[in-house]
Amino acid sequence: MLLRRLVLAIPLLIGILFFTFMLIRLGGQDPVGLLAGPTATTEEIEIVRAELGLDKPLFTQFWLFLGNVVQGDIGKSWISNRSVTLDILERIPITLELLLWGVALGSVIGVPVGLRAAFRHDKWFDHISRGISLLGFSIPTYFLALLLLFIFFFLLGWSPPGMGRISLLISPPPTVTGSYLIDGLLAWDFSVARSALAQLILPVIAVAIISAAPIVKHTRAIALEVISSDFVRFARASGLSSDKVSRIVLKNSSTPVTTFIGTELTGLVGSVSLIEFVFAWGGVGQYGLNAIIRGDFAAVQGYVLFLALFSLVVFIIVDLLVLILEPRAVAE
Amino acid sequence: MADLALGSAPKERSFADKIWGKIVGLSRRSPTSIIGFVIILFFGLLALLAPLLMPYDPIAANPNLILQGPSAEHWFGTDGNGMDVLSRVIFGSRYAFGIAIPVVIIALALGIPIGLYSGYKGGNIDEAIMRVVDAFRVFPSIILALAVVAAAGPSLLNVVLVIGILDAPIFVRVVRAEVLALRSSSFVESGLIVGNPTWRILFVHLLPNAIQGAMAQTAVRAAWAVRISATLAFLGIGIQPPTPEWGAMIRQGAEFMVNGQWWVGIFPGVALILMVLGFNMFGDGLQDLLDPKRRSGGK
Repeated sequence: MLLRRLVLAIPLLIGILFFTFMLIRLGGQDPVGLLAGPTATTEEIEIVRAELGLDKPLFTQFWLFLGNVVQGDIGKSWISNRSVTLDILERIPITLELLLWGVALGSVIGVPVGLRAAFRHDKWFDHISRGISLLGFSIPTYFLALLLLFIFFFLLGWSPPGMGRISLLISPPPTVTGSYLIDGLLAWDFSVARSALAQLILPVIAVAIISAAPIVKHTRAIALEVISSDFVRFARASGLSSDKVSRIVLKNSSTPVTTFIGTELTGLVGSVSLIEFVFAWGGVGQYGLNAIIRGDFAAVQGYVLFLALFSLVVFIIVDLLVLILEPRAVAE
Repeated sequence: MADLALGSAPKERSFADKIWGKIVGLSRRSPTSIIGFVIILFFGLLALLAPLLMPYDPIAANPNLILQGPSAEHWFGTDGNGMDVLSRVIFGSRYAFGIAIPVVIIALALGIPIGLYSGYKGGNIDEAIMRVVDAFRVFPSIILALAVVAAAGPSLLNVVLVIGILDAPIFVRVVRAEVLALRSSSFVESGLIVGNPTWRILFVHLLPNAIQGAMAQTAVRAAWAVRISATLAFLGIGIQPPTPEWGAMIRQGAEFMVNGQWWVGIFPGVALILMVLGFNMFGDGLQDLLDPKRRSGGK
């Protein structure tokens, strides 16, 4: 199953790379003019173009690009003039810190609420949780982030301003994991850890709210389906206590719920970029958004490749989790 | 007299009664969808009657009235250009509908034929189409929309086209799933035996039976279109300020919000949430009503 997933992923990855490659090459933005500056002569522009390999036919360019990508070289950002691979690699932990805490919190809230809504189907708890989750679906990610900042920073003064991952007055801890919170704790420096935590809370809440809404909806739907299944009806008919029946429902819902949260992660990594953008979080998401806005070809490629690889890794992890939760699947 | 009225005109009223019965039934089954419908209606009226309702010109800058808080003259205050926020929020509803409706139409127009064909033909073509659809599903749609609109250039037309195309795979999937279930049914077979060409089988025989799931999705997809177009404008890709579009207005308001001039960004944000919520609530009820899978799973 895993091997099949990996083999199938290769043409998909190449397809995605080809699509974005053509998209940005054929798009309206020409970086050469930007790079060479407004005073550059036509010959100078041609030299820059040749240096970047942009004078060759498109398919040759793509072929060369693919060869470089396989070696881990996505190219240089035309804005920062640094290797995109390095830029992205050092930002991955920053985004993961936000995404994973957020989705963990979102699941801890969303899964029990969804289950309870299913058990209380058509009761007031079900209706209210459904309404709230619809609201969660409807709030634009960036507006939620702005609203949180407005309420908790401006009105209440409980939160530090949304400017990065640590107070500007505190120097970051030595890098171990890339998460300031964990690194601060590892370095036994509590002022660092405290500042990192304070910066982390609001964006994590934003991610949690955005992720909880679909988790509630799908957990409810999954549990409802299990509840109306024949084996649960049989369990009820056999006179098992409602506690035992609930446990059967939980057990049979766990695999699809895990799979769903996994698939959700792959979409959320896109929404998280907007939260990073508002909180100036400085992770891959913000980097990618800025690259798209400014037309930084190589950085956009790197970001897209990161997103594709990220979903691939998530699917593999979900597959492994399913194997653990449901050993039956091994046989297939 | 009451008896007479009931006895004499049952046929005349039966159609209205039917509709009324449906509405009552829907409101009992899913009160949220009725609330959603009322919200959509409200914004629809706002969009239609915008010229009558707007107290000021939505793009008339007034340097003497920059960043005034809500007052009797300017209920929602004024923005950084001295434009009236209320007028801009009202006019913004036109952009929301003006994007949502064509986006859903484009997505349906692309998604339904591809879904019909893919499900009916099966085999390699179907496999290839589904791979592409899956790739769209896995990849974050926001990023895809951003990248494509950024490359194509920010214009209202590009925003609508790109969002519409990106939304088509959802309809492909829904329609294909229904066609798969219907493909080997007797009405398709008899249609074939009589000698109908493929297009007739697809669009005359299969389409009416396979379209319910797609129709159920339309309101939710409209919500998505409103949301994502506003996101593009918020990021400065897509519709540009000072166009009175809600996302662009939130972008303008973001910098003032942390200084306490909240009205510039909050009012368009609330309008955006309400409208998306309206579509989502209505769509939720619509799915319950039309989607056979959810109907049987629900009760």
